[in-house]
Amino acid sequence: MSGDALLATHGVVKRFGGVIALKGVSFDLRPGEIHALCGENGAGKSTLINLLGGVYPHGSYEGEIFVDGKPARFATPRDAEHAGIAVIHQELALFADMSVAENLLLGRLPRRLGVINWDEVHARAREILGACGVELDPETLVGDLGVASRQLVEIARAVAKSPEVLVLDEPTAALASQEIERLLALVRDLRSRGVACIYISHKLDEVFSIADRITVLRDGESIGTLSAAQTNPAEVIRLMVGRTIEDLYPRRKSTPGRPLLEIEALSVAERPGVPPFLRDLSLAVRAGEVLGIGGLMGAGRSELLMHLFGVWGHRMTGRVLLNGAPMPTPTPADALQSGLALVTEDRKRFGLVMEHGVTFNLSLSSLQRLVRHLLLQQDAEIARARTFVKSLNIKTHRLDSPVRTLSGGNQQKVVIGRSLMTEPSVLLLDEPTRGIDVGAKLEVYELVNRLTDEGKGIVLVSSELSELLGLSDRIVMLCEGRVGGEFSRSEATQEKLLAAAMGRIGEAA
Amino acid sequence: MQGRVVSREMTMLIALGAIWIGVAVQQPAFLSPRNLSLLMIELSVTAILALGMLLVLLPGQIDLSAGSGVGLTGAVAAVLTYWAGVPAPIALLAAVIGAVLVWAAMGSLIVVQRVPAFIITLGGLLVFKGLHWLTIRNQTVPIVEGGGTNAYSLLTTYYLLPLAGYVLAAIVVIAMVAGTLRARARRRNYGLEADDRETTFLKLFALAQLLLLVVLVTNQYRGVPLAALILGGVALGIHILTMHTPFGRYLYAIGGNEEAARLSGVPIRASVIGAFAIMGLVVALTGFMQTAYSGASTTTVGSLMELDAIAACVIGGVSLRGGRGTVLGVLFGSLIMASLLNGMTLMAVSPEIKFIARGLVLAFAVWLDVRLSATE
Repeated sequence: MSGDALLATHGVVKRFGGVIALKGVSFDLRPGEIHALCGENGAGKSTLINLLGGVYPHGSYEGEIFVDGKPARFATPRDAEHAGIAVIHQELALFADMSVAENLLLGRLPRRLGVINWDEVHARAREILGACGVELDPETLVGDLGVASRQLVEIARAVAKSPEVLVLDEPTAALASQEIERLLALVRDLRSRGVACIYISHKLDEVFSIADRITVLRDGESIGTLSAAQTNPAEVIRLMVGRTIEDLYPRRKSTPGRPLLEIEALSVAERPGVPPFLRDLSLAVRAGEVLGIGGLMGAGRSELLMHLFGVWGHRMTGRVLLNGAPMPTPTPADALQSGLALVTEDRKRFGLVMEHGVTFNLSLSSLQRLVRHLLLQQDAEIARARTFVKSLNIKTHRLDSPVRTLSGGNQQKVVIGRSLMTEPSVLLLDEPTRGIDVGAKLEVYELVNRLTDEGKGIVLVSSELSELLGLSDRIVMLCEGRVGGEFSRSEATQEKLLAAAMGRIGEAA
Repeated sequence: MQGRVVSREMTMLIALGAIWIGVAVQQPAFLSPRNLSLLMIELSVTAILALGMLLVLLPGQIDLSAGSGVGLTGAVAAVLTYWAGVPAPIALLAAVIGAVLVWAAMGSLIVVQRVPAFIITLGGLLVFKGLHWLTIRNQTVPIVEGGGTNAYSLLTTYYLLPLAGYVLAAIVVIAMVAGTLRARARRRNYGLEADDRETTFLKLFALAQLLLLVVLVTNQYRGVPLAALILGGVALGIHILTMHTPFGRYLYAIGGNEEAARLSGVPIRASVIGAFAIMGLVVALTGFMQTAYSGASTTTVGSLMELDAIAACVIGGVSLRGGRGTVLGVLFGSLIMASLLNGMTLMAVSPEIKFIARGLVLAFAVWLDVRLSATE
């Protein structure tokens, strides 16, 4: 093997039953570099890092892993950790019922006379967080934190073990621009301290702003390793998908019709008796229109959607009109009944029944339409599911394959499909392209176009500014629960949106 | 996935075979038509309760009060008929209505007030046991005047005439063939996997043979027991509920991912309360059958039956975390439990050892389920 590689794989092949996830991947990480892994979902990125992290033990794959030029045989993730490899998986592994400090120091909580010394715990946790530039109270329960803060805690925990190699799997999937910047700064800082980093992300602008080299995987093979300085996003995308994507955001011009969803002076508190979190919001979505909603983490984007759908908050003032009819706080069933559907941000937790089939998940919200003589018309159900699988291009082996076996993008299409099956007039999309590959993203964008052509109204929440800019007809930026600024498609720019999100409207020209 | 299912089924089959062979070697009377007929009645009682338990376990709940409930409902019906002289059908109906209301109330405490099912039904276990003993004043209350019969006692003492047994078997086989062919055509039509013609034929043929064997054996004693027909009806009903109604889908969805179900517009409260209400119905039915089988309501009727029902479910592949389980699996699990209990009684195993054996089987079944689920 190349002698200067800190970590390398040589001709690694990994099979799951009859499926070959990796077909001989060779990859090397040099000391002090940030090496990005790019590829669509299912390309083998996660499998590769699971091998490097010891999740799949030596012997369950072919080929070799080298650490410092010597063959490594990890039997458990702990072995990999001892070898200096810290992996931060996409699925966060934190204890929700424990404090940030406990999570950071779990397994090595400082003790005095056998009893945990809590002052010491919190002081050390503060140190760790400080070193990573994370501003969090170490005594907060992790369960009370948003996804972004959890991600930062997870990274701080890995960094606290002073690893030689840090592996980050989609670390920014849940983060807003500001937090992404902070995270990228943290990773660069670690590089300057000699920590090498394998960085997986779907966001190419991020990859290009941080990576030294980029390895592209496609269908379990390493297509090539490029120096970031000598390539460009278009080339990487071409390598990833094996085709060129001319325009990532193919938003078509639309002519908005009558208002479908109107929100007037809405103030919502998390629960009765506390000050409102969403304050005095007034918005409208018209037929055939995409209303983009942006904002930093905690600005209230998801909360607004969840409140409209009846699963969050206590309405204090204001009203919501759907198709002209007032809609008091509904239950999800009421909301669906009256033509409002929500595609949630966290599809694993709130979206899918993983062990059940594609058909089961697709039709779950519209079973009552499929009933005749008290019984489910399963013929009709399957026929409907088939139509959706086809029109949304859901790639599944069978209609009754558990959705757990589908890739992220296809799972997301199932969640969207379930909402569409209820024939909504307004569709609320919360981070619809989070954690899905470029190809699937493009399909979601095309779908948005198709739906607005059909006269539906769409509310799109996204933390990717380029996505908001590319897809929306109008954009509303939320800032601390209020409208920080509203922009038409033609007047919006990244700078203006960011300024509005940070409550500094007027500062950016 | 395929391999896991097969291994679970194989394990169950081997366990059943081991029990049957083990008991039959020790006590050849196990395989006598009389004992097999009795086993079938015992299976019916165990399996009906377990099928109700399936509906409760699917949305991730549990019912520990079922056994006490069996004792109580049987006692109420017995006291109404024997002491109060109420006609048996009316007494049964009254007990059923009471049970449905009480179980629906427990269901609402669980989903509306958010008290864990484990605690609510553990409370129910004690309360119903106390009420049961109060109802019969710690005495033995027969369900019918000595030597007579009524709708209550006939539940476990009525047998079909031999000819009726054959006719029924024929009707069931024809219905099965028709149903299978239709389902198969439908699956094919939609491009889903369906067994090929030969496998389908073999499966149906084996089922028909089994049914015929059952009728032949029971006819050597007194005929097909009414209890078995009740079980057939309950099993068919719950199969339809779970597989062919939105209500059943909702139960699987709630057990699989409650948050996702809620956001999909699944009426969680109504579904769970509904499952408990049906459980009340099933408990009452089991209560009548178990009491009728004992001949009278005594303080021990129903004792610990909830654990047998839970064990039968787990053996049959129902997940205690909810979201997974089928009627067929539960029937099979019940057969294993009923065979075990019947065999132990036949071999005159002491009550102490019986307790230990039941406990070990329950623990072993859950352990096995965890292991088999982990290897997928």
